[in-house]
Amino acid sequence: MAMNGNNRSRLLLVTLLVTSLFLITLDLRGVSVTQSSRSATQSFLAPIQRGVSDFFSPVGNFFSNVKNFGKTKAELNQVKKQNEALKKEVVLNSDIKGQLDQLKGALDLAARGGFKVVAARVIGHGSASTFSQTITLDVGSTSGIRKDQTVISESGLVGVVKEVTSSSAIVLLMSDPTFRVGVRIARSQGMGVLIGQGGKRYLVQLLDSSGKFQVGDALLTLGSDGFKPFVSGIPVGKIISVNSTTASLTQEADVSAYSNLGELGVVTVIVGNLSSDPHNALVPTPAPTRTVYVTSTGAPPVDTATLTPSPSPSLTSAPKKKATK
Amino acid sequence: MSWLRALTSALFLFFVFTIQEGAIARINFPITGFSFFLAVLVALMALEEKSGAVVMGFIGGIILDLSPTTNSPFGQWALVLTVVGYLIATNTESVGDFSARPGAFVLFVAFGVTITLTLYLLVGTLVGENAGTIGRNTVVVLGNFMWTLLFTPIFLPSLVRVRQATLTSRERS
Repeated sequence: MAMNGNNRSRLLLVTLLVTSLFLITLDLRGVSVTQSSRSATQSFLAPIQRGVSDFFSPVGNFFSNVKNFGKTKAELNQVKKQNEALKKEVVLNSDIKGQLDQLKGALDLAARGGFKVVAARVIGHGSASTFSQTITLDVGSTSGIRKDQTVISESGLVGVVKEVTSSSAIVLLMSDPTFRVGVRIARSQGMGVLIGQGGKRYLVQLLDSSGKFQVGDALLTLGSDGFKPFVSGIPVGKIISVNSTTASLTQEADVSAYSNLGELGVVTVIVGNLSSDPHNALVPTPAPTRTVYVTSTGAPPVDTATLTPSPSPSLTSAPKKKATK
Repeated sequence: MSWLRALTSALFLFFVFTIQEGAIARINFPITGFSFFLAVLVALMALEEKSGAVVMGFIGGIILDLSPTTNSPFGQWALVLTVVGYLIATNTESVGDFSARPGAFVLFVAFGVTITLTLYLLVGTLVGENAGTIGRNTVVVLGNFMWTLLFTPIFLPSLVRVRQATLTSRERS
């Protein structure tokens, strides 16, 4: 009897393994049934994700924000008393303000590049169990979103649209190990390929063996035929270290992305044709140094102070200011 | 495992999958993330007899394969979790009754999730999937182990009670 039970479970195991292998073969051969079943699941999940998004948006960053709470119990109690009534409102307001800032920055970047865009809210992140780096947006084909469209944030490239349903879209983030994008160096116009590494760092390989990277070089998207999947001129990242190995024919370098993929709240999807190629117009540049001359009335300058604002992609120029006392 | 039980298990696992994709995935865990679905599935497989664990692994795998965020071929999770179901059922018999040793059960679930993720990466490599660097994947697997170890004691008693409630009198005996 026990032998029969063992045989039955083994037969079941073999049957299910063969079924799994059959499904994998079907998928690798490009049978559309598997793709449509994933799209159907996304259509089902999107409203749920949108529903819980409002609740989980403040909660989602709990672990990263927890260190900002008071350090002693007494201080915590005091803060709790003061904030009890307003806590919910403040969290929601700061969440909305954060999203508004991101939207403003993303629209600003799109406007400077002359792109026609659709703004979208991030309503989901890729599951930890899938090893893929994705986000889910609350816009879909009814808003004009199509597969292989470029997604940008306020600072630069985010990824590319991977799947679309009527009301949602899944974006493959540039940090995904399967992500590849052609890039050019803004300084020398040398071309290369940027590869996601699964984390915050990226690898870029030059295509030309005579080309050279320099630390601080800005990288922009090279662009694709028909602007799909990538429009050209989108800021991608900057070189943080150059890997000098004799083993590879072309130079490689580590890249830090302009977009912070861990804190995406609002992004824009480029849906329209370009008015023109932006070339290097979107390269994030630090604002020029502002020099303030402080002089006494009727006397020669006695003091000079230099203010250097932090680099901001949204600032392309700033006037010099002079103050006289 | 009866057809009715397989169906109710599938519905329950899909409910857990919805929680995972809709809510848990929204939380930015430090050191990668936590797969609530895998933890629940491994715990349920550990409570089933051999053929039940294999079927539940297959069902859970198919549900995970439906995840729109996954890059792997459809069927890869089903393959991995069917094998894991068999391994778990085989080893559960040697470990004995979990209800008397909740600590051992939590550890078993955490190791089960770790083995599942490792096996998934290995199968992914075999089918030519690019899942990233070894260092990064090690962090993902170890991070999942840590979070599973921390969170499983919270939901495990409720999960066992829900399972008990769905058993027929014949299955209880």
